[in-house]
Amino acid sequence: MIWRFLLATLLGGLCYLDRTAACQLMFHRPLVVATLMGAIFGNMSAGAQVGVVLELIYLARLPVGASIPPDDTGAAVFGGSAAAIASSSTGLDAGSFTAILLFSVVVAEAGKVADRFVRKANVRIARLTAESVDRGDVQAVEHGLLAGLTLFAVMGMVLALVFSGAGVAVSKELLPLFGPASRENFAILLPALPLLGAASVYSCSRTERTAAVFFLTMATVFCGTVLSRWSA
Amino acid sequence: MTPSALAVRSRNAVWRRQFLLQGCWNYEGMQNVGFAYAILPALRDFYANRPEEELKAVKRHLEFFNTQPAMGALILGASVRLEERVAAGEADPRAIGTFKVGLMGSLGAIGDSFFWGALRPMTSVAGALLALLHPLLGIAALLLLYNGAHLTLRRRGFAAGMEGPEGAVGWLKRASLNIRTDDRKLSAAILAGAYAGVFAGRFVVQGGGAPHALASLLLAAVAVHMFTILFRKAVSPSEILSFLLFVGVLILWR
Repeated sequence: MIWRFLLATLLGGLCYLDRTAACQLMFHRPLVVATLMGAIFGNMSAGAQVGVVLELIYLARLPVGASIPPDDTGAAVFGGSAAAIASSSTGLDAGSFTAILLFSVVVAEAGKVADRFVRKANVRIARLTAESVDRGDVQAVEHGLLAGLTLFAVMGMVLALVFSGAGVAVSKELLPLFGPASRENFAILLPALPLLGAASVYSCSRTERTAAVFFLTMATVFCGTVLSRWSA
Repeated sequence: MTPSALAVRSRNAVWRRQFLLQGCWNYEGMQNVGFAYAILPALRDFYANRPEEELKAVKRHLEFFNTQPAMGALILGASVRLEERVAAGEADPRAIGTFKVGLMGSLGAIGDSFFWGALRPMTSVAGALLALLHPLLGIAALLLLYNGAHLTLRRRGFAAGMEGPEGAVGWLKRASLNIRTDDRKLSAAILAGAYAGVFAGRFVVQGGGAPHALASLLLAAVAVHMFTILFRKAVSPSEILSFLLFVGVLILWR
């Protein structure tokens, strides 16, 4: 298990770097991160199932200006690892799946607080950089950026370790406390979650043209899905 | 417009460094350290053997700066050309600050709307849908669709900026990002509708009959509409999820 946590820490840290500090190539998206964590903890497709739902839920919050959206990368680290472990212990039933998705909100908010902390700490680095440049040290700009980047990377690795640990703990310790009947009751909430994700995208893309198109497509695909299930 | 005299090695270094524009993002100067870091190879080229002027130039770029990171490439390229003119004594150094401040807000708004409000939702939902077939297919679709547009715009924006501020403004007009934004929003809405339809269809109880299916569809549509209204009233997804978690705990309690 130790090497799994090491790998989760390393790769999670890299995904966190992509989130803000470097590149923004979307390696930090929940679909990618949850699938990766699922693969590391033994069940890639269980991680991907969580990633598919988490991918869209937080899109309604845009990283505009100085605002920081909830940490969906952290939610995916937690969700991916928890789903993979749950699938090999209690089984990833609908109740466990719902519980993992809902618990991930705590992680997303905790990650947001950590992100804010790093950005505040970077104020000090930026000030020191400016002071060094005032004294004639142009290279301080490179050192300042490296320091900021290191802080983002270290925080990312710490968060990846803590959140994957939390995911494993929830699946190994918390979920088995509830019997199958309790978990089944919890699953009542599951249909709301993908719809929340669809609403999140719809609220981003809502224009005069898109409202009718969205609901028409939804109805068409719904009919197709139901008919194919009934005929199967 | 004469081509830039900047050495190819320095130009490539500036291009690579722009990916770290947010490497030291902070609440005071925001992307200031990242911008100064990115433009530094060009400043070293232009002010070789003139350390005093190089220092002044670096200080200029340590002032407050914040824009959408991908759109930063355009401002970075144009700033390189302006610095070249300043170094040659053809322009006032204050023009650089005015140019950056004038453009970062509007480009930030255009970039946020295009990248965060249209392209990312579209590629995310496309990836999520394809991941239902196979996770790796979904991930590949997300990364290729997003980065195809993202890296192309970065590259073209940087190249247009390197033609000078006039080239940058001309490229912005030609790129017509507002039309591209609308197109991607439409695609995102279609794909999100398909995503909602797939999941709503999956939760219909088998053997319930057509009236049951119709009721499920209407319920799902109302749920999406209600969530959208909540988002428009600035309710966070976390708040909705926390409420659902609270409901879940109540269900378990019962």
